[in-house]
Amino acid sequence: MHSTIVRGQNVFGFFTTVCFVVAALIAASDFLAPRTPKATVAANTVQVVRGRPHYYSTKKEEYAIIRFTMNADFSSLFTWNTKQVFVYVSASWPNSTSEELVNEAVIWDTIITNPSADHLQNIGPAAMKKLLKSAKGKSIDPKRGKIDLKNQKPKYQITAPTGKLQDTDGVVLRVHYNVQPWVGVLTWTPQIEFGSWKKLKGGVSKAFKLPSIKKKDPPKKV
Amino acid sequence: MADQLLEQVRDIAEGQIDFEGQRLAELLATVLLVAVGAVSFVVGYVKQDIKLALYIGLGGTALTMGLIVPPWPFFKRHSVKWLPVGGMEKSSQGIIVDGKVIG
Repeated sequence: MHSTIVRGQNVFGFFTTVCFVVAALIAASDFLAPRTPKATVAANTVQVVRGRPHYYSTKKEEYAIIRFTMNADFSSLFTWNTKQVFVYVSASWPNSTSEELVNEAVIWDTIITNPSADHLQNIGPAAMKKLLKSAKGKSIDPKRGKIDLKNQKPKYQITAPTGKLQDTDGVVLRVHYNVQPWVGVLTWTPQIEFGSWKKLKGGVSKAFKLPSIKKKDPPKKV
Repeated sequence: MADQLLEQVRDIAEGQIDFEGQRLAELLATVLLVAVGAVSFVVGYVKQDIKLALYIGLGGTALTMGLIVPPWPFFKRHSVKWLPVGGMEKSSQGIIVDGKVIG
C-alpha cells in the first residue's frame, strides 16, 4: 500500500472478488423464488403442402403448417435476476425407424424480456418506445409472462428429413421455455422438480394426425 | 529549477504514505468494499431491481477508490522518524575485540 499504484491495484483486485461473490449470491437467490409455470396448447387447423426449401432446390418436400391456440402463465419465472425468457412450441411425432427416438421441430417461438433488458430487444424505435412505456417504473413485470394466443399462425413450416409428412399419426405439440438470467445458470423446461421449482403443468397437446395434401380439383370445363 | 519541479511531480505521483497509513488503507479497503457488496445485494434483493444493485455497487466502489488511492493527509499522520545521517553513538556500547575497546 506504499504507493498510489499499489493501492489502486489492491482495491481493484478486491473489488473483482466482491463482484464475483455478490454475483454468486444473486444467482443463488434465484433458488429461493418458486417457479410454477403452466400452459395449455392445442392444434387448430393443420395443412400439409408441397414446397421447396429455397428457390433453386430441385427436390420438393412436404411442409406442415400447424396453426395453434396456446394459453400460458410464465409470470413466476420473472425475478430480479431474469434477463429474458425464451418460449417455444414444437411439434413431435414418433420416428418410424426406432422406438425411443422422436422427430421434433419448432413451429413458433418468442423472446419475453424483463424491463431491465428491454433496451436489448431487436425491434424498431416505435415498438421500442411502446415497450419501455409499458413497464414504466417497474423493475420486473411478471404480467409479460402471461401468453394468450388464439389460432396463432406458426413462424416456421416444418418438414422431416425424409421429405414426407402427410398422414403422419401421433403428432403432439409441446411447450418449452428457457430462462436466461443476468447472472447464473441457464435453465430449460425441467424434467425433475427441484426444491420450489415445479415442472411445467400441462404444456402438451392432444395427439392429432397430419392430413394429406389437398388435391387440386380439375378445372371445370365450361 | 525544472529538476526540483520534476522531483515534486514524482513525489505526488508516487503518493507514498507512512506505515500506519498503509495499515489504515488496507483496513478501509476491505471493510468498505465488503460493505458496498452487502448493501448492493440487500437493496437489490428487497427492491427486486438488479440495475439498482449494479449502480450501488459501482458507485460505492468509485467512492472507495477516491478515498483510498490518493495520498490523503490523514494517511501521513505517523511519519517515520529516521535517524540522523552520519551520526555516531557518543556513549560506549562496550564492544571489546582483541583486548581493545572499539565501540
